[in-house]
Amino acid sequence: MAKSLGIFVTSPQHMRHVMGITKAAKAKGSKVKVFFSWFGVHLTKCKEFPELCELADDVSICVDSYKNAGYDPADIPKGLEAKKMATQSQHGEIIEDYECYLTL
Amino acid sequence: MSKKVGFLLVNKEYTLDGIRSTLGLAVENMYSYAYVMNNELADLSDYHKENIEWVRDMEGEVYSTVDANVENHGMVKITLEEIGKQLRDLEIIIPYGILRSDKS
Amino acid sequence: MKLLNVYRSAPSDDTKKLVEIVSEGREVESFDLNVENPDYSALLDKVFAVDQTICWW
Repeated sequence: MAKSLGIFVTSPQHMRHVMGITKAAKAKGSKVKVFFSWFGVHLTKCKEFPELCELADDVSICVDSYKNAGYDPADIPKGLEAKKMATQSQHGEIIEDYECYLTL
Repeated sequence: MSKKVGFLLVNKEYTLDGIRSTLGLAVENMYSYAYVMNNELADLSDYHKENIEWVRDMEGEVYSTVDANVENHGMVKITLEEIGKQLRDLEIIIPYGILRSDKS
Repeated sequence: MKLLNVYRSAPSDDTKKLVEIVSEGREVESFDLNVENPDYSALLDKVFAVDQTICWW
């Protein structure tokens, strides 16, 4: 059985890799969690972001980063659950609860 | 057993948030280390100074290859070779953000 | 200890040095994401087979 995969995203440059890896991982039967922090939160504005939220098992973002990047925390990115506007503890969950770790 | 994680911070637009993320994992009961490489930080706010102190209080450390960061912000001096050796003992290694930006 | 070095962009001299030190004496694989159409499935096969993956900048 495929291992579970956590992805920590801090670069605003790699949405194609986030999508490509998540699609490939789900095709292999992996459980996938993605957490966006710092300038990585700009990727919530990509057209693919809602699809990512449907595809992955868990998507969350750092709400402090979102605010610091100039976005209104009340403006929840399309596809994201309000409770997933979260904190750095999501990163801790990726490391503790998922077998494989990537940073993009 | 607590995991050991290291953040590699090479871009001044990402470094202070990388230190915040370092603290974020320290409070998740991990041994969390930041390595500030090749970027000099200007004056730090009390918030950012406290983040560095908290990382240290939680058995982590903030290292830097840059003398000015050591002198001005109390970071612990380290060389590139020493960083490499320390990384060998860490379970999670996080090259944070992007390598360089147009503004740096 | 099996290690996978993934590259998101062309590695700098410092990155190359760190990779050299971290990789010494270990069974090492690499994967270049900095291409037009990365084979993500092949990347994941490698990720699942190693003990540690480092995604360099």
